[in-house]
Amino acid sequence: MGVDGSYPMLFLIWLLPLAGAIACWTFGPQLKRNAGWLGSAAILIAFVATLLSWGAAQQNGGQTVGAHQALFSWLPGFDFGLLLDPLSLIWVLIITGVGFLIHLYSIGYMYTDNAIARFFAYMNFFVFAMLTLVLSDNFVGLLIGWGLVGLASYFLIGFWFFKPSAVAAARKAFVINVVGDVGIMFAVFVLFAKVGSVGFGDVFANVQNLGGWLIVVCVALFIGAAAKSAQIPLHTWLPDAMEGPTPVSALIHAATMVTAGVYLIARCWPLWNGSADAQLLVGTIGGLTALLGALLGIAQWDIKRILAYSTMSQIGYMIMGVGVGAYEAGVAHFFTHAFFKACLFLGSGVIIHELSDEQDIRRMGGLRKRMPFAFWCMLAAVLAICGIPGFAGFYSKDRVIYGALQHGHPWLYAVGIVTAGITAYYMFRLFFVTFLGEYRGKVDPSLLGMQPGEREPHAAHAEHPPVWIMNVPVGILAVFSVIGGYLLIGGENSPWAKFFATTFAPELVVTPAIGEGLTTAVVLICVVAGILVAYSRYATKAALGDAVVRLQRESVRLPAVLVNRYYFDDAIEWVFVRTSQLFGMLFGRVLDPHVIDGAVRETVISSRWLGALVRSFQTGLVRAYALVVVFGAACFIVYYALIGGVAK
Amino acid sequence: MILFWILGVVLVASAMWVVTAKKPIYSVVGLLAHFAALAIFYFSLSAEFLAVIQIIVYSGAILILFLFVIALLSSGTAAFATGPNKMPRAAIPAALVVLIALVFLVYGVSRTAFTAHAITVSATSAAGAVGTANVFGSVDDFGKALFTTNLLPFEITAFILMVAVIGVVLLAGDATPYVATKRRARAVERDMRDAILRAGEE
Amino acid sequence: MDASLPVAITNYIGLSAVIFFIGVGGVLLRRNPLIMLMSIELMWNAANLLFLSFAKMWLNNAGHIFAFLVITVAAAEAAIGLAIVVIVFRTARNVDVDEVALMKG
Repeated sequence: MGVDGSYPMLFLIWLLPLAGAIACWTFGPQLKRNAGWLGSAAILIAFVATLLSWGAAQQNGGQTVGAHQALFSWLPGFDFGLLLDPLSLIWVLIITGVGFLIHLYSIGYMYTDNAIARFFAYMNFFVFAMLTLVLSDNFVGLLIGWGLVGLASYFLIGFWFFKPSAVAAARKAFVINVVGDVGIMFAVFVLFAKVGSVGFGDVFANVQNLGGWLIVVCVALFIGAAAKSAQIPLHTWLPDAMEGPTPVSALIHAATMVTAGVYLIARCWPLWNGSADAQLLVGTIGGLTALLGALLGIAQWDIKRILAYSTMSQIGYMIMGVGVGAYEAGVAHFFTHAFFKACLFLGSGVIIHELSDEQDIRRMGGLRKRMPFAFWCMLAAVLAICGIPGFAGFYSKDRVIYGALQHGHPWLYAVGIVTAGITAYYMFRLFFVTFLGEYRGKVDPSLLGMQPGEREPHAAHAEHPPVWIMNVPVGILAVFSVIGGYLLIGGENSPWAKFFATTFAPELVVTPAIGEGLTTAVVLICVVAGILVAYSRYATKAALGDAVVRLQRESVRLPAVLVNRYYFDDAIEWVFVRTSQLFGMLFGRVLDPHVIDGAVRETVISSRWLGALVRSFQTGLVRAYALVVVFGAACFIVYYALIGGVAK
Repeated sequence: MILFWILGVVLVASAMWVVTAKKPIYSVVGLLAHFAALAIFYFSLSAEFLAVIQIIVYSGAILILFLFVIALLSSGTAAFATGPNKMPRAAIPAALVVLIALVFLVYGVSRTAFTAHAITVSATSAAGAVGTANVFGSVDDFGKALFTTNLLPFEITAFILMVAVIGVVLLAGDATPYVATKRRARAVERDMRDAILRAGEE
Repeated sequence: MDASLPVAITNYIGLSAVIFFIGVGGVLLRRNPLIMLMSIELMWNAANLLFLSFAKMWLNNAGHIFAFLVITVAAAEAAIGLAIVVIVFRTARNVDVDEVALMKG
C-alpha cells in the first residue's frame, strides 16, 4: 500500500509543465515566439517549487523518506501517488533546472522556426512526462512516464518532420524504446504476481519473496534501462536521434531522458543488492558501453554525433556505477554529467547556429577568435568531462571508477580507467579541430575527405535572435560544470554522501589493495596521455599548418569497424529486419493467400454447397411441408409403439 | 355395440367421400354427414353438450364458412387445381415410411390394448374426478367443470377466438393497406384524393 | 373390458386412427386448399372422438374440456385458413397450392 501523506506542492511541480504544454499547443498561433517565454516560465516555477521542497524531500517519516502525495487507488495493490525523496529530488532538480536553461536557450535557437509554439509544447510535455517518471511512487506510474518520455522523444526527434532522416530516426528511437518498455512491463507483471503490489515500498520490502524470479525481474528491468539509456546492444537509436534540434539533444538525449535507466536502477537498488548476477551483468554492459561508445567517438566528424557517442559512453559509466552497487557514485555522475553535457550540446548548438547549420567539424576550425565565449564555456565542459581536477567530472567519475573496485569488479575498474583516457582524447580532438587553426568552411568538402553524400550546409538565416539569450544558459551551465562536483569533495563526509545517507542502505564494500589517491593518479595519467595524443595530432603548429591534408588523410584511414559503428546497425538489419521481411514474405505470399484465404474460400464454397442442399428442401409446396410433419409424427408413433410394446 | 359399427362405417365412408370428392362442394356435403354421425357418436359416449356443440359450431358455423368461401371463389373463372402436380418424387418413399409407421401403430396398440392395466387405473381415477358417475357428461356436469376447475383454459379460449377474429379481419377484411399511424393515414388519404383529382382532369 | 363402453377401447382407437389418416391423406394428396382444410377438420374430429372415448372410459370429464378447447381452436384455424385462401386467391387468381410456392428457397 502506498504511504499516506499529503504534499500538494508536488502537484504544482508535476502538472505545471503539462499546463504549459497545453497552453503552448492550444494558443500557439496567438503566442508565437512568446510561447517560449511561457514554456520557460512554467519550468522555472516548477524548479523554484522543487527548491522550496528541498527540506520536505529529506524529512524522515519513519519507514519512508521524503514527501508523499497520494493520488488515487485503483485496484488492491495499485495505489498511485507522487513521491519526492532525495533520489527523485536530484532528478527533478536537473530536469527542471537544466530543463529551464535549455528552454531559455531554445527561445534563441528556435527563433526563426515557424513552429516554435509546437516545439515548446513538446518540450514542456517532455518535462511533464519525465517528472511523471521520476515522481511516481510505483512501477506502473513509472512505466507510464517511461512510455510518455518515449513519445515526447519521438515527437522531438522528428520535430523537423519534413526531413526524411529525422522521421526515420524518430521511428527508430521509438521502436527500440518500445522494446525496453516491454521489458519493464514484463518485470511489473512478475513483481505484481509475486508481491501483490506495484508500489516501490511494498516491492522493496518483499524482495526476498521473489526468490529465483529476482534475476528475471532485474534483467527485464535492465532491458528497459538499456533501451532508454542507449546501452549496448540497444544503443543504435541515440546517434540517429541527433536529427532533432540541438536543444532537444541537450535536454533529452544528454541530460535527462537517457539517464532514466540510471534512475531506474538506482531506484530499484534493493533488487540489485539482492542479486550479484544482475549486478555483474549490468556493470559489465555499462563498462562495455562506456568503452565502445568512447571508441566510436574517435571516428566521428559530426559534432553532435561525437557528443552523442560521448553521452552513450558517460551513461555507460553511470550504469556501471549503479550496476556494481556504487549507486551514490552513479547518481553523482548523472548530476555532473547533466551540466557539462548540456553545456557541450548547447555550446555546439551555438556553433552550429553561427555557421548556418554546419555540423561537420572538418569544416569548422579557428572558431576561438570568432566565438570566444563559446570557446571558454566549451573548454570548461571539456575539462569537466575529461575529469581534470577542479572540474565537476573529476569527482564523480573517480567515484564511479573507484566504486567498481570497491565492489569487487577489478576488470570494470580497468575499463573505466582506459575509457577515461580515450574520452580525453576524443573530446580534445573535437575541441582542437573545432576551435584551433584556420577556418575551413570555405574549403572544398572533397579536399577534407568528405563523401559527396555527407551533410551540406543550409542557407544562412536571415534574422538572428539576441545573442545573450543563447549565451546565458551556456554560461550558467559552464559555471556548474566547474562547481557542480564540489558537493562531492570529502569522500564519506561530503555533502553528497550525507544527502543520500538515508536513501541507499550501506552495502558491504571490499577494501581494495589500491587506494583512492593512487586511482586518481592513474586516471589522471591516462587522461593527460589522451590529451597529449590529441594535442600532438591536432594542435601542434605542424598539425595546424596542414590541417586540411591531415584531416583528409584521417577521414580516409578511419578503421571501417568504427566508421560502421561495429556493424550493429547492419547486424540488426540482418538479424531482425531481414528475417522479419522473410517471415512477412512467407506469410504474405504463402500463408495468407493459400492457407488463410484458402480456408475462407473453402468455407464460402462449402457453406454455399450446404445452403444449396438445404434450400432444395424448401420447395415452397405446402403439401411437402405437411409430409415432413407427418413423417416426424410417424417417427414419434413408431417410437412410442416400440416403447409401449417392449417396456409395458 | 351395433350402433358403434354402423356409425363407424358411416364415419369412415363420409371421411373418404370428403377426401376423394371432385369438387369442394361435394366435400362439404360429406363433411356434413360426417359431423352428424359424430354428433350421434358423442351422444352414445354421454357427451351431450359436446354433441350439441358439434352440430352448432361445426355444422352450423364452420361448414357455412366453407360454403361462403366456395361460393366466393367459384364466382371467378379460375378453376381449381389445374396445374401439374409438383410434389417431389421423394414423397413416394416418404409416404411408404408413413404407411409402415401405421402398421407399427396398429401392432403396438394391439399388443398393449389397454387391457388389465387400463381397467385397474380406471376405477380409482374415476372416483376423484370432478364429474360424478351417475350424471357423467350431462350439461350440468360439463358446465361445472368448465366454469370452476377449468376456468382459466376457458378464458384462454376466448382470447384465442379474439385473436382469430382480429387475424381474419386484418388478412381478408379490407383491401386498403393497413395504416399504422394517423399521420400515415392522412398521407394515404391525400394521395388517393390527388389521384382522383388527376383522374378527373384527364 | 370397461363396463362404461359398449365395445373395447381398442376399437375406438382404431376408428379414430382410420379417420385421422384419411385426413392426413387428404392433406397430402389433394391440391385444393379448401379440401385440405376440410381434411384438417377431419383430423381434429378424430382427435376429439378419442378424447371423448377416453373420457367415457375413465368417467372423467377432463376429456370433454379438451374436446371443447379443440373445437375452439379448430374454429379459429378454419377461419384463419379460409381467410388465407381468400387473399391468396385475390393475388394469385388460383387455388392450386402447388402453384403458390413463394416460399421456395
